Amino acid sequence: WCSDETRAGMNESGTQLLARLEARRCLKDIEPRLFSEDEGPQHGEVVELYGAEGTGKTELLYHLLCRCVLPEAAGGLEVDVLFVDTDYSLDMLRLVTLRSSLSRLLVVHCSSSSQLLLTLHYLETTLNSRPSLALLLIDSISAFYWLDRCEGGASISRQEEKLSKCAELLGRLLRDYKFTIFATCHTIRRSSSGSAASCSSTLEADRPYLCRPWQRLVTHRVLCSRQEAENHTAGGSREEKRRQVFRVHCSSSSSRTKASRISSFCATDAGVQFI
Amino acid sequence: MVPLQEGMCPGLDGDLLRSLLAADIRTVEDLVSSDLEDVSRKCSVSYKALFSIRRVLLAQHTAFPVSGADLYEELLSSTAIISTGNPSLDKLLDSGLYTGEITELSGGPGSGKSQVCFGVAVHVSLQLKQSVIYVDTTGGLTASRLLEMLQSETSDGDEQMEALQRIHVFRLFDAYSLRDCLSALRRGGLLQASGGGSVKAVIVDSVSAVISPLLGGKQNEGMSLMIQAAVALKTMAKDFSVAVLVTNHVTRGGGGGVQPGLGASWSHIPRTRILLERVDRAPSGCSSTLRSATLIKSSRQPCHIKEEFDLQRQSRSVRSSSGKRKRDEADS
Repeated sequence: WCSDETRAGMNESGTQLLARLEARRCLKDIEPRLFSEDEGPQHGEVVELYGAEGTGKTELLYHLLCRCVLPEAAGGLEVDVLFVDTDYSLDMLRLVTLRSSLSRLLVVHCSSSSQLLLTLHYLETTLNSRPSLALLLIDSISAFYWLDRCEGGASISRQEEKLSKCAELLGRLLRDYKFTIFATCHTIRRSSSGSAASCSSTLEADRPYLCRPWQRLVTHRVLCSRQEAENHTAGGSREEKRRQVFRVHCSSSSSRTKASRISSFCATDAGVQFI
Repeated sequence: MVPLQEGMCPGLDGDLLRSLLAADIRTVEDLVSSDLEDVSRKCSVSYKALFSIRRVLLAQHTAFPVSGADLYEELLSSTAIISTGNPSLDKLLDSGLYTGEITELSGGPGSGKSQVCFGVAVHVSLQLKQSVIYVDTTGGLTASRLLEMLQSETSDGDEQMEALQRIHVFRLFDAYSLRDCLSALRRGGLLQASGGGSVKAVIVDSVSAVISPLLGGKQNEGMSLMIQAAVALKTMAKDFSVAVLVTNHVTRGGGGGVQPGLGASWSHIPRTRILLERVDRAPSGCSSTLRSATLIKSSRQPCHIKEEFDLQRQSRSVRSSSGKRKRDEADS
C-alpha cells in the first residue's frame, strides 16, 4: 500500500490521513449478551452470522444496527454504519424507531459480485470522508455464490475469483482503516430438521462453503438456529405460545481467545430480547 | 464483468486500450484492482492519466451509498399494500401484499395456488384499477376463466373488458426464457409491457415448474438461473415498487412434514411464505373447496398462524357445488 499512498500523497490531504490513522470506535461492547467481556469484535475483526432461513439472522442484524446508530443518550454507540445490501432484503420501514439517527446509516445496493468489488474499491473514499464509520454490515456475503459458481465453469479458482478479490480488498481496508465487519451468510444445504436430527447432518450444513480468503478473514462465527421449543404453558397467552426462540452459538477463532458461547433470544415487537 | 472499451471515459483511447489489453487488463474490475504503478510502467503510460481514468470508471460503475434517512423517506412514500381480494389471506399477510417484496405461495397440486393468483390479478385490475403482469409457466391461465371471475364481480361489460386489458400475460415454458423475460422487464420493459399503465403486481405462476427440473445433479446452471430470476424479481419489486407474488411446489421434508420446494438457496428469497393445503373435512362426495393457508415465514407476524378460506367464495360465484367441481376438473 506504501507506493500507492506516496504517489497519491499529493491527493491525500491532512484530514484524510488523520481519518485513516485515527482509531475508529471499537465495537467489542456491541452486544454483551452475545459476546462476553473480552470476546467482542475488536478493530479489524469480522463476524459472520451463519444460518438457514428463518433463524433470526436478520433480526440480529437489525438489532446490532440499531445499537450502533442510536445516540449514546438512548443507549447506542453513536457510530456511522454502512449497510451493503446484496440480497435486496433491507426493510427500511422496520428501522422506524431510529428516526433521526438514520442519517448515520448509509445504504448501498449491489447486484453482482463485480459491482460489489467496485463498490468496495469506492468504499475507501467513503471511509476517508467519514471518520466515525466504524461498522460495515454485509447482507449477505453469499448472495452471489451460485452466480459466480456457474460463471466460473469447471474451474474452482475461477468460481471463487471474484469473492476472493473482494475478501482480499476487505482485508487490506480492515488493516488500514480498522473498522469492523458483520456479514450474514445463508446456508445452501438443508439439514434434516425434526426432533430426531442427527448431529452429523447439522454439522455438514454448518460447514463453511465460501472461498478461503473470506474464511481466513472471519474471526468470529455466529451460528444461528431455531429452537423447536413447544411452549405448552397452560397460563401463557397466545402471544407467548407462538414466540419463536432462536439459538445463537458464537465461536471466536481470533488469536486472543478461542471461546464459545451459546445464547438464546426471541424476536418481539420491541426488537430482540435475550433470554 | 464490464469489458473495457474505447471511448468509455475521456482518456481511454484506442492506443491505451491496446496496451492495456496487452498487459492482460480486459475489464473495468481488472483495471480498478491492479497496481497502477506497475501498469503505468508496463504500458509506458503516465500514472496520472491512469489514476484519473480509474477514478472516472469507478464513479461510473459503482453503486453509490444512499443516506438511510433519504431511503426511508422514499420508501415511506412509495410503499403500498395491495389487497389480495381474499380477506383471510389479507389477515395472514398483515393487510395484503407489500410492494417492494416477494411473497411466495406454496402448495401441492390442486391446493389452489393458481386460483389464488387469478383472484389477485382480477382484484388488482378490477377493484384497484392497476395493471398486472402475469407470467404463466404452467399453461393454466385462460382468458375465459379470468372473464368468468370478472363477471362474477361486476356485470358491466366495459368494466370487464378494461380489467382484462390491464392483465398482461407472458407465457414461457423454460428457465432461460423466464430469466430473459424477467431481466427484460426489470431493465425497463415493465412500462412498455403494460402500455403505459401503472403496474402494481407481478405474478409468476409458477417458478418451480421451470426451475426444479434443472436442479440437482452436479450442474450449477439450474441454481444460477434460479438466482438470476430471483435477483431480477427483487430488483423489479424494489425499483418499480411492485408487489411480486410467486408460486412454488412442495416436497416432503425431514420429519414427514411438507415444506416448500426449490431448496435452501431459494428459501431466503421470498420475504413472506404461505403454505396452502386442502382441508378434507366434508364427508359428502363432492370435492371440498376449503383451503387452509399457513404463514411459514414472515417478518411482521408470528409464524404458523392459520386461516381457512373457501376458494369458491373468493370468486364469489353462485354456481352449485357440482358445477364447480366440473370446472375444477376441467382446469386441472
